[in-house]
Amino acid sequence: MKHDYELVVGLEVHAELNTASKIYCGCRNAFGKEVNTQCCPVCMGMPGTLPTLNEKVVEYAARMGYALNCTVHPVSKQDRKNYFYPDLPKAYQISQFDIPLCENGYLDIWVDGAEKRVGITRIHIEEDAGKLIHDDSFTGTLVDFNRCGVPLIEIVSEPDLHSTAEAKAYLDTIKSILEYLGISDCKMQEGSIRCDINVSVHKPGEPFGNRVEMKNVNTFSGAVRAIEYEANRQIEVLESGGEISQETRRWDDLKGQNFLLRSKENAQDYRYFPEPDLLTIVLEQDYLDGLKASIPELPNRKKVRYIRELGLPEEDASLLAETCEKTDFFEQILAAGKIKPKSASNWVLGDVSRLMNETGKPITELGVDPAQLAEIIAMQEANRISSSAAKQVFEEMRKTGKSPADLVKELGLEQVSDTAALQAIVDSVAAANQKSIDDYRGGKTNALGFLVGQCMKASKGKGNPALMKEMLLKILEG
Amino acid sequence: MSINIKHLASLSRLTFTPEEEEKFEKEMANIVALVEKLPDLDASGALIDPDNPMQLRSDEVANKPNRDELLQNAPEVQAGCIVVPKVIE
Amino acid sequence: MELYQLTAEKLSAMLAARECSSEEVTRSVLSRMEQKEPEIAAYVTICGEEALKQAAEIDARRAAGEALHPLAGIPIGIKDNICTRGVRTTCSSRMLENFVPPYDAFVMEKLNAAGAVMLGKLNMDEFAMGSSTETSYFQKTRNPFDLERVPGGSSGGSAAAVAAGEAVLALGSDTGGSIRQPAAYCGIVGLKPTYSSVSRYGLVAFASSLDQIGPMGRSVRDVAMLYGAICGRDNHDATSALREYPDFAKEITPDIKGLRIGLPKEYFGEGVSAEVRDAVMKMAKELEAQGAELVEISLPSTDYALSAYYIIASAEASSNLARFDGVKYGYRAKDFANLTEMYEKTRSEGFGAEVKRRIMLGTYVLSSGYYDAYYKKAKFTQLRIQQEFAAAFDKCDLLLTPTVPDTAFKLGENIDDQIKMYMNDILTVTVNIAGLPGMSLPCGFDSKPMPIGAQLIGPKFSESTLFRAASCWEKTLGGFDLSRTLA
Repeated sequence: MKHDYELVVGLEVHAELNTASKIYCGCRNAFGKEVNTQCCPVCMGMPGTLPTLNEKVVEYAARMGYALNCTVHPVSKQDRKNYFYPDLPKAYQISQFDIPLCENGYLDIWVDGAEKRVGITRIHIEEDAGKLIHDDSFTGTLVDFNRCGVPLIEIVSEPDLHSTAEAKAYLDTIKSILEYLGISDCKMQEGSIRCDINVSVHKPGEPFGNRVEMKNVNTFSGAVRAIEYEANRQIEVLESGGEISQETRRWDDLKGQNFLLRSKENAQDYRYFPEPDLLTIVLEQDYLDGLKASIPELPNRKKVRYIRELGLPEEDASLLAETCEKTDFFEQILAAGKIKPKSASNWVLGDVSRLMNETGKPITELGVDPAQLAEIIAMQEANRISSSAAKQVFEEMRKTGKSPADLVKELGLEQVSDTAALQAIVDSVAAANQKSIDDYRGGKTNALGFLVGQCMKASKGKGNPALMKEMLLKILEG
Repeated sequence: MSINIKHLASLSRLTFTPEEEEKFEKEMANIVALVEKLPDLDASGALIDPDNPMQLRSDEVANKPNRDELLQNAPEVQAGCIVVPKVIE
Repeated sequence: MELYQLTAEKLSAMLAARECSSEEVTRSVLSRMEQKEPEIAAYVTICGEEALKQAAEIDARRAAGEALHPLAGIPIGIKDNICTRGVRTTCSSRMLENFVPPYDAFVMEKLNAAGAVMLGKLNMDEFAMGSSTETSYFQKTRNPFDLERVPGGSSGGSAAAVAAGEAVLALGSDTGGSIRQPAAYCGIVGLKPTYSSVSRYGLVAFASSLDQIGPMGRSVRDVAMLYGAICGRDNHDATSALREYPDFAKEITPDIKGLRIGLPKEYFGEGVSAEVRDAVMKMAKELEAQGAELVEISLPSTDYALSAYYIIASAEASSNLARFDGVKYGYRAKDFANLTEMYEKTRSEGFGAEVKRRIMLGTYVLSSGYYDAYYKKAKFTQLRIQQEFAAAFDKCDLLLTPTVPDTAFKLGENIDDQIKMYMNDILTVTVNIAGLPGMSLPCGFDSKPMPIGAQLIGPKFSESTLFRAASCWEKTLGGFDLSRTLA
């Protein structure tokens, strides 16, 4: 950082949960529907209506709590946060204040070749607000209540992040875990995951600076820009002799700037108090134990394991860990045969990913059985088929559904490793290409590749290239 | 104890004329004096009642929305939406 | 006897025996309304045509031999803070003057299913905040015993209508005494049920943790009948209790032998008029003569209940009433320059003075720096009061107290003195604070002569015991005397 400042960032991530119904009423939790068609008297805050808490919301939030190593409180409650705004029909948001569902967790993220632990302060459940539509063709602002009552979890981190790279890695990891657990769609363009960012700067050894909260950050790349902007702004103020005051600013991603929303003096007084329309959330220990046990190995853990135990390059591990469909598939291949993890990774990140992109289908619908793919990889590793033959078998297998072993036989793709037969091919290629032999001996070593290629051609792709290369070298160096 | 009527009014989105404000100030002082009569007790714990658990709702879609009905009481409607004065963000 | 003068119990029997039709009963009550409304002004909205239509439907169903609920065909008035689908629900406020809910309250669903005939919507203190029904935006309801006096509040319209024969039964709501105090002032029976026994879905909230809808009628059995029809679990109200209820009206017996009746001394103190105290003590002696055992009880924290009540109720109200902002429904001011001005003008013009006072008080006790000293302390005081009641109910089965320190006051008498007005609730708020059932029943007249109310308080879900004791008292009196108001 400029002038040796240290950056301190804490993040509040709001993620919409993908339950069927809303958090406090039976309306459909759906995005992109016609305005005001996914709401009812309850989520529109009509007089006399009452909230009822959706059990799935509690379940999803508790699972996220366990995924982030939190204590999930068996007894918690909800509170009202009071403020006036046209997108908040009751003029209060039902949220959780002093006893959130989950507390005191941590998340390990992978940044710059090492693991880093980030504290999780809390996770609480709350309802989303509606949407204001600003359009110059109308004299006023339009209100669409469809999003009112969509369930949210707010994940609050400790101020443990010290660079934009760490913040980005943290956000990406949170997102991948939400997707792994299948509890949020994490669609940025639909606003289903958003964050508020707390930023301060200080010189090492000195106390923390005053923190500034930034609202309205709707993308992760925006978060990186917002943090950079705010850190630089604070350093500039400090370097020119000014002071940073605790305040709330609004990030404008288009302008790449933030603007003062309210100062500390004008801080909102939300008058939190326990929601009297709802009773205590009491969760049985058996239920919680079951949720805890249901948490799979998470992408951040998988990634570290792939690097450390399977010896995969960091890039491979990151790409695989992006989604659980890839890791699941990868692990199914490994489980099916004794093959090198890197070979399996190459296939998943190569041909399998390519197919997913081309067809737009999920991995399970590509017509590729991981056990059969493992068979192909095993044959390739054992030099029974060449890599090009392996691709051919892969394609045929998808088209015909036949087993790799049958296809290799049927297509005559079995690699020839019979030394006598290969020696004959090598000898005839050598006899026909004296010029290349001379080139090689004259120092043009790439002539070897040409010769191996000629041998492959002569063997109709079936000769074992490694063996033929060895034989060629004997002739060349002999 | 003086009560900041202006601040409370602003939090409550209410306004008072100066005369009303003066009257309210006196009335509020009397009312607050009345409600201040509370016992000296330890109020440091959390306000939560673990003996009163809530039955949660199962996650099922149950509503058939009817936009016309929901908007029939709205003061101003355009394009299926409620209209408020322009909100400057 | 005119049909409008009869109890629901009697009418139900006559309807079942085809001695009269629901249409005849309804016509009788509607014509009584026509005669009395100019002086009583109990109703904000009258649904005459719809009521006759409903009555005719019930008659037809009965004629077809259908088995009907005991309340089928009985004309009932509904307090105007209970949402009625398609019928405006105003809370007696300018804010909701033209609000027509697209949904029914749960109790209305139950009453409609039972076939009760809805006469209209009854006047009340604005948003149920008041003890005289004088804070209604629309009209001042008068006490049928003396038109110069208030009917009490906030369910003043409900109490006056029942007493005057303008409804056979009525629903009220009670947050701090709003059923029991007007019942006492108008000489009828009113029950504030155990919190959580009647769904609050569709009751426009004043104080969510204290509000309960309850029945009002001219006899104990009528009230039991209506209570039995509206209680029960509602999945749309998370605070609604998961339990089964007996058929209250059926199981009432006036036998109170061995019943231990507690007399909490704090409820008979200085503030209570001598005539009221004497009347309630006389009733205690009579119940003793009928086989009950009288026990002296002390509830030392009673003095704090009023403070705790006004803090908790106002805090919740300030939040509950924030939704009335001119955006989605209800009143919206005409001229405003921006959003904030729209909010402020709408709310300042749409709410009356008493509602504003409660909102301001509630905002104050929840605001930063004051929450612990007021709201939180009040909630802990509430716990202590609940514990004292629980201890008292180890020593007795129910408590007998006056409902109100005095009988009905004159219109305008307390309107500018909030403290005096709030003190009216001193004997009733404890019941709401503790979530208990409380019933007010007539207990003679003072020298004015205005009706005196006695209050029975029991442990949670002890309504059956309350009905039993009340019915014993009713029997010894030979019924409650409403001859002056039903004439």
